[in-house]
Amino acid sequence: MLRCEGATLDYGSYRALDGVSVHVEAGELVVMLGANGAGKSSLFLAISGLRRLKAGAIRLGGRDLAGAKPSAIVEAGLVHCPEGRKLFPGMSVEKNLRLGAYVHRRDPARSEEILDEVFGMFPILREKRHDPAGSLSGGQQQMVAIGRALMGRPKVLLLDEPSLGLAPLVVKQVLEAVKAINAAGTTVLLAEQNAFAALQIADRAYVLENGRIVMEGEPATLLRDEGIRRAYIGA
Amino acid sequence: MSLFFQQVLNGLTLGSVYSLVALGLTLVYGILHIPNFSHGALFMAGAYAAFFASTALGANYWVALVFAAVVTAGIAVLSERLVFSRLRDKPPLHDMIAAIGLLLLIEAIAQAIWGADFHRLREPYPGIWQWLRINAGLVMPIQRGIIIAGAVVLMIALHLFLTRTTTGATIIAMAQNREGASLVGIDLTRVSMITFAISGALAAVAAVLFVPISLIFPAMGNLVILKAFVIIILGGMGSVPGAILGGMVIGLVESFGAFYVSTDMKDVIAFAALVLILSLRPEGLFPGYAR
Ligand SMILES: Nc1ncnc2c1ncn2[C@@H]1O[C@H](COP(=O)(O)OP(=O)(O)O)[C@@H](O)[C@H]1O
Ligand SMILES: [Mg+2]
Repeated sequence: MLRCEGATLDYGSYRALDGVSVHVEAGELVVMLGANGAGKSSLFLAISGLRRLKAGAIRLGGRDLAGAKPSAIVEAGLVHCPEGRKLFPGMSVEKNLRLGAYVHRRDPARSEEILDEVFGMFPILREKRHDPAGSLSGGQQQMVAIGRALMGRPKVLLLDEPSLGLAPLVVKQVLEAVKAINAAGTTVLLAEQNAFAALQIADRAYVLENGRIVMEGEPATLLRDEGIRRAYIGA
Repeated sequence: MSLFFQQVLNGLTLGSVYSLVALGLTLVYGILHIPNFSHGALFMAGAYAAFFASTALGANYWVALVFAAVVTAGIAVLSERLVFSRLRDKPPLHDMIAAIGLLLLIEAIAQAIWGADFHRLREPYPGIWQWLRINAGLVMPIQRGIIIAGAVVLMIALHLFLTRTTTGATIIAMAQNREGASLVGIDLTRVSMITFAISGALAAVAAVLFVPISLIFPAMGNLVILKAFVIIILGGMGSVPGAILGGMVIGLVESFGAFYVSTDMKDVIAFAALVLILSLRPEGLFPGYAR
């Protein structure tokens, strides 16, 4: 479904991604583990067209995304829910969600249905639909960010550290929502530092270190790995 | 008492013009973080475009106004495409220098075509509002009423556009979070162009409303743009309500200053108000909805 081959990305003379090859098959939930600064966000930004690769290719369902505009990538069915949420803080929750469906503005009827599904998944957002998004708690803002991404009708959803800065109980809630989204048929690539929680819901995982993939495997294998336990689980 | 109201009317007239100019400036700043010093040249270009339409093409006032808005929107979009979009990743100083360069260029072109002399655009409806004179003893030239009404209509239209339409929402989205806007598939190039077009059209309309009671000359935009900067700093950079209220405040301060202090002092008073208000409220008066 989604395939990166030898993705390489530089910031000036600093190489943030160095020949990263990953693939996510249709219906999978794949976790990208990696410490702060490993390059997870850079990879996601490159996939969604906000950063240009120095070398390598990114394909979505066989289509080469090289040079595609971010809007074309969203239209092609790849939606990125960014680290730090990147909401429109002064706009209402509902308006944030509706803008998520911007590329589908010619088909408002289906967007209304999805909006209803998002409100069904996160009832608190229905309650706060008229509040400015910036006034919500961190967990609620994360729900808006996920909801906004869903409004883009993703076939593949990139989720960049949705648990960042949230209380443990809220993290659980958010990851459960991610699992439900995947169960409903959306392919998910999830970046996390919170390895233990993320591996619980994953089909497969990669470990990214200093811009390189250093390990790939099933959650059970990774959870048993001594190095992984020490680096990402602290046990 | 009627002298007081007379100043209020004069202040609202000036304030309307300033607000329209400041609105375009604040929109461009809110979206692109460019302090567009060439905005004053757009004001001037709008005046000359209307002058050209009415003299060379024989257009009536309203046709000349629309013509000026379209032409100036085009110039603004061109300046975005040819200059500002190319400086996107450069330090802010480059934008400023480029903007000043553009200002001088547009001014030089106007001077080359129409010379340095003053020109006039005739009032479409000469005379004063008789109703106001008879009932309130106020002298209000019809053109001043047109200025205020025109500004109010445009502000309402702009507000509805920004808050009720999808395209308007993309502009505000880009102002509030650029990367978030890209990620939902908003085309930032398109939004930038639309924003510049709106800012150019607003500047042109402000100028065409204003010139029947003032003069057209190549440097006419300079003092106006300086004041528009004062206004958006007062109003909060990027704030739409701030630009409107700030414009009215400066218009009123100037008109009262000119009357109660001295006509020569009116510009000094506007800038003194800036210094005073900013030392009391460095964040501006109204941090508002575009940011
Ligand atoms: N815009 C940028 N300019 C320069 N360096 C950057 C930029 N964005 C990220 N980096 C650097 O690239 C590396 C990878 O960052 P990032 O992709 O954000 O990692 P992660 O998401 O895994 O924490 C870090 O060392 C970071 O400092
Ligand atoms: Mg990151």
